[in-house]
Amino acid sequence: MTTPGQDAVLRVRGVTKSFGGAAALKGVDLDLFPGEVHALMGMNGAGKSTLVQVLSGVHQSDADAGAVEVNGQAQHGLTVRKARRLGIASVPQRRELAMGLTVAENVMLGDLPTRGGAVRWKAVNSEARKALEGLGIDIDVKRTAGSLTVAEQTMVEVAREVRRGGRILVLDEPTACLSAEAAHQIRELVRTLRDEGVAVVYISHYIDEVLAVADRITVLRDGAVVRSAPAAEFDAPGLVRSMVGRDVVSQRSQRPAPKDEIGLTVRGLTDGRAVRDFTVDVHKGEIVAVLGPAGDAQSRLFDLLSGRRRPDTGQLAVDGAPVAFGRVHASLSSGLRCVTGDRRALGLVPELSLDENLMLADDRFARRRTHRRAQLACRAAPLRRSYGVVSLAGNPPVGALSGGNQQKVLLAKWLQTEPVACFLEDPTNGVDIAAMADIHALVDDLASRGVAVLLASSSAEEVMRLADRVVVVSAGRTVAEHDIDTITHDELVATALGGQPQ
Amino acid sequence: MSVKTLPDAPGVSDPPEKARPRFSLAALRGAPHAGLIAVLIVVIVATSMQTDSFATDTNVINILRQVSVVAVIAAGLTLLMTAGGMDFSMGSNVGVTTAVGAQLLAHGHSTPFTVVVSLVLATLIGLVNGVVVTFTNVAPFVATLATATLLDGVALLVLNSVSVSIGTKMFALGNNKILGVPYLLVVAILVLVATALVMRFTVFGRDAFAIGGNEHVARLSGINVTARKLSLYALTGALSGLAGLMLLSRLSGSSPGTGGLSLQLQAVAAVVIGGTALAGGYGTVIGTALGVVLLGVVANALNLLQVSSNYQSVSVGAVLLIAAIANEMHKARSARH
Repeated sequence: MTTPGQDAVLRVRGVTKSFGGAAALKGVDLDLFPGEVHALMGMNGAGKSTLVQVLSGVHQSDADAGAVEVNGQAQHGLTVRKARRLGIASVPQRRELAMGLTVAENVMLGDLPTRGGAVRWKAVNSEARKALEGLGIDIDVKRTAGSLTVAEQTMVEVAREVRRGGRILVLDEPTACLSAEAAHQIRELVRTLRDEGVAVVYISHYIDEVLAVADRITVLRDGAVVRSAPAAEFDAPGLVRSMVGRDVVSQRSQRPAPKDEIGLTVRGLTDGRAVRDFTVDVHKGEIVAVLGPAGDAQSRLFDLLSGRRRPDTGQLAVDGAPVAFGRVHASLSSGLRCVTGDRRALGLVPELSLDENLMLADDRFARRRTHRRAQLACRAAPLRRSYGVVSLAGNPPVGALSGGNQQKVLLAKWLQTEPVACFLEDPTNGVDIAAMADIHALVDDLASRGVAVLLASSSAEEVMRLADRVVVVSAGRTVAEHDIDTITHDELVATALGGQPQ
Repeated sequence: MSVKTLPDAPGVSDPPEKARPRFSLAALRGAPHAGLIAVLIVVIVATSMQTDSFATDTNVINILRQVSVVAVIAAGLTLLMTAGGMDFSMGSNVGVTTAVGAQLLAHGHSTPFTVVVSLVLATLIGLVNGVVVTFTNVAPFVATLATATLLDGVALLVLNSVSVSIGTKMFALGNNKILGVPYLLVVAILVLVATALVMRFTVFGRDAFAIGGNEHVARLSGINVTARKLSLYALTGALSGLAGLMLLSRLSGSSPGTGGLSLQLQAVAAVVIGGTALAGGYGTVIGTALGVVLLGVVANALNLLQVSSNYQSVSVGAVLLIAAIANEMHKARSARH
């Protein structure tokens, strides 16, 4: 908790940053105190990342505007190296460990104890162990970084930064894509850091999580601070209102009742330990949710249904016709559309333009042979409108869009190709609350069009919002199946034993 | 629909920085291939000031005729590398094609027959590369480097280690001109333009960008990645065959060491200088054409300035290094903004 009267370890005053004509930050103030968890909230593109990049020296505040003070001393022309020397460290969303090296080497990287030029391995291991234990992290230092879970990687990175002398630690969405238990571990680590006197900047999209872990919350909107106050003065609806600028309600909507015909049938699908004897029938116009921790089982279902991978056993039928496993072409021509939860790796081609990504699949289905940018723009324009994709500058590479917009491009790419059945893997992964509401509306609309929707989700809220039926999966096995109106949210969470971070 | 919210307002997380108006040069620096064009201009101006024989019609035509063969190879390589592939055996394929073509012509076969056989053979060689790369997961660099070495040996075997002359057969292709433009240059320009059009205006070309950018996404989007890769490797094989015939006609024969890795490296250098990404996903034919011309101009300038031939590869290497660094700096600058 904030000790009153203590001096801020980092003080930001009136920082302004613009790229070209567009202002990303407009006169932002921020105070960080040691031993305090300071959450930065805001929608995608509100300026959180830019602010953090100014703090860590990646970007400099515009000339003549704003000041950054560290330990009471004004810092001009902060560079990455300077910031690091001042103890400002950040753990980015994409983990940056050397995957082939051991945990110990990663923790000690750049500072390996040596004697006469030879690495002293015992000292490496023992010092790394000490660094981890100091933060209450229990990981064998001899494991390779590649074998760690995402949560463990985050912990190792945090330990490394703290060992290097990080006193101001920026954590960018450390719990995204984590199971409840792993997210809990990360939050425990954050509390330990706070107790050690580290100033933690915490960025997260999960409202409940922020309210639980943060001491102070600063909300950014359109590059300006909307509100900065102790966390106790915020409640969830108020927080959302200051982020979005108005009330956002994503409520269950009335959809036409599902048809009798079955659109998608999966029987006895088994693949190793990730998916075991998974069976489900999805009627046309129905949304069936598969609720379970994000990660292995969900992405394995994507691999199996999309034809990237052949299962051990199992049957798949779309619209009554059997579909062969292990062939992308078979899966696509059956009318099944699988939308990945990993848009970076399996969803979009970042170098290609927004329009080209939108039409990537549809143009191939239509067996087009020529490619004209003007015609492409004409075909893409209605999609951009109906899926709410916004870009500032014409037709940029899709990699330059915000997460929410990228996700909408991904959904539009697949959902406009006249699907019979759809598998959606975590469609609101890493998007802000307004984009999430938009995407929920899009999925509703999809089911209303009579498409059988199988929705893999790790969020009980999302399941309650969208699904007609829910299949709860744990460790690859189906543990329960319910109609959505026969179960409450809390019962669902209890059954899942591992939903979204709460 | 239960809710209607505004899409998140700033759609671009980092909007591209526009050149500041007070820097008039800044706009120029942002133009594509700006660094490459600048280097080219510097070399041309510097050489023209040193020697009068550089900026003459005959010399310019001569340079362009000399780079024609490399240009044809580099065009195919640009498309393949954009799709994330690599073919190190194109130069050696040229060697085999010239050897086989020379032997066929020397043994009295007709020119059309020789042309067809050479092209088919070269295409098959490319296809074999494609099959190995597509179905075995061996890295394209390794697989084609192996076939390159293998083909170098085959070329020697075909020639039986002696030079084979074809007399005046195919003389026209290698030496005649149309409206003052050598046939070889016409062929090279046609190939470059065709490749550029394919990359820009056909789904086949866009598939190459998608595969190079993210092969998984391309496959999941319904692109037949296997078939596309096979045809791309076959295409580079066919273009190697064409380049081989061009070289054969220019040299009026084939001798041990024709084509091979040195030719290949010139093509790779030209493509890389032109800014095509080694990892795939990005590439332009205009850049490649500029790269080919730059290498040709530098070699010619060194000749005219009577620089010892030992320094020529030193300087070609230096040009490659400078251009690669300039490309990276340009890329880093546009990524940062």
